[in-house]
Amino acid sequence: MNDTAMATAGIPKEIERFNIIFRIQHVLMFSTFLILSFTGWGLKYAHDPEGLSSIWIRIWGGPDTAGLIHRIAGVTMLIDFIWHVIYLIYLFATKQMTIDAKTTVIPLPKDVFDVIKNFMYFFGLSKEKAQFGKYSYAQKFDYWAVFWGMFIIGFSGYALAFPMQVSYIIPSFATGWIWELLGIMHSDEALLAIVFILFWHFYNEHLKPEVFPMSWIWITGKISTEQLKHHHPLEYELLFPEEAKQEKKG
Amino acid sequence: MSRKTFAVAVAPLLLLLFLLPSPGLAQESANCLYCHNAMKGTIKVQGGAMVNLNVDAEKFKASVHAMLPCTECHLKFSDDTHASAGSAVPSDILSLSSKISIKYSSDPVAGAACTKCHEEEYQKVLSSVHGKNVIEKKQTDGALCVDCHGSPHYITKAKGGKSPVSRKYQAETCGKCHGNQELVEKYKLEENVMDSFSESFHGRKLLLGHTRAPVCASCHNAHDIRSKSDPLSPVFGKNKLETCGKCHKGANEKFIPAITHKRPGPIPHYGEKLLILLTMGVFAFIVIHVLLEAFADIRDAVFRKKEGK
Repeated sequence: MNDTAMATAGIPKEIERFNIIFRIQHVLMFSTFLILSFTGWGLKYAHDPEGLSSIWIRIWGGPDTAGLIHRIAGVTMLIDFIWHVIYLIYLFATKQMTIDAKTTVIPLPKDVFDVIKNFMYFFGLSKEKAQFGKYSYAQKFDYWAVFWGMFIIGFSGYALAFPMQVSYIIPSFATGWIWELLGIMHSDEALLAIVFILFWHFYNEHLKPEVFPMSWIWITGKISTEQLKHHHPLEYELLFPEEAKQEKKG
Repeated sequence: MSRKTFAVAVAPLLLLLFLLPSPGLAQESANCLYCHNAMKGTIKVQGGAMVNLNVDAEKFKASVHAMLPCTECHLKFSDDTHASAGSAVPSDILSLSSKISIKYSSDPVAGAACTKCHEEEYQKVLSSVHGKNVIEKKQTDGALCVDCHGSPHYITKAKGGKSPVSRKYQAETCGKCHGNQELVEKYKLEENVMDSFSESFHGRKLLLGHTRAPVCASCHNAHDIRSKSDPLSPVFGKNKLETCGKCHKGANEKFIPAITHKRPGPIPHYGEKLLILLTMGVFAFIVIHVLLEAFADIRDAVFRKKEGK
């Protein structure tokens, strides 16, 4: 991906971290996520016709409209997810993406050790923070949480939005409990997703002192070489081995 | 002026009477309400029933029955005084009143009089599980007209408004009995129906004001309500296909278990427990991690000099 950058003399000031397609996928993902959270929240906590949930849902145009918005956003999100997976398959098939321990988003044993290392650092038991490749364990967690969410919330949501169509493919032995389970899965895991985004993603990509008010990579797709060296030292070493060696000596 | 001229001159004026704003009450009702609007409290009548004497004239005027004279239903009474009770009551109403007298001990004739205008509905109720409970099993706590619709004096249109059978209040009205543990046990009714409804997608949508979300009667019928073990019930076995199909075109046998009053089985139950455990585990990890990281950042900023790297 960064062959051109490496070919030029010296180190480029910034490198592309996410191409335009990944950035569009991310924007679609978070905008539909927010809409789904807002419209779904009212239904999850519907207890009283005059209660807060009812007022909240009226802001979204009443339950009929909010339901429609929720379905449209949900389908859009699922399409976005499928697009992402197909795009990944295409990237691998055309060898534009390969798996490397230092750049992959796939969880590795190193990530577990990184967590332990960082916890030791938090407690003052270690002087070194964990050093990351292209994706820290926090970012990998973020990424795979979406996959979990898409399989659990996305597909249960699809079944709940189009129960008639989905009912034909449900095996007979499951009809007695599957609907109840789908509702629970959708609702409980949606809450987990919201909590996860609020605490994990918002802290790591927005509130953390070094990124506040947000990491701009989601718009520019670019990370400065300085930041790369600081936050993703292993990737930096992989991309610029000569410079990294010299700096270590120096 | 001859009598004929008088008639020609005045008779057309009488037509104007029809154009006058309606007083809202029959003259005879006004007579009764003159006292009953002001009366308060209850008295014991023959047979030992307690009768509430008060009829709120304002609320009565707002009801759909405002234009009816009192004796339209209180057939036993003449429009004269109570003392001259004994006006002729049609035999069909009299026989119906004797069937339901267990229910309306004070004036069963009035309780049966609904059938004069609402015969079709009344016949449905009589053959329904609610009606049979009163007529055949002689239970005083069985439901008839007033238990769901409220006092006939104050009945308003079922659509909208404050009617207890309106979309908004219907579930609450059914819940008076079907959410009452004593009655549920006495009649071995399906348990947990009110909670399972309000937790279902149907119930939640209704609570939020969804315009097409079903209420109790949408699936169970209103007047001709039957036990789910009655083959004529809309929720008996395969009848559900048609009942669900009213809104969900093409409802099939795998689709209809999606909504039920039954408590969740073991799989959804333990599935939920598992998901809660997962949620709590993830929640604990991320909160602890975020807090520790934030504290470490503060510690580094305050107590540790930043190293070059």
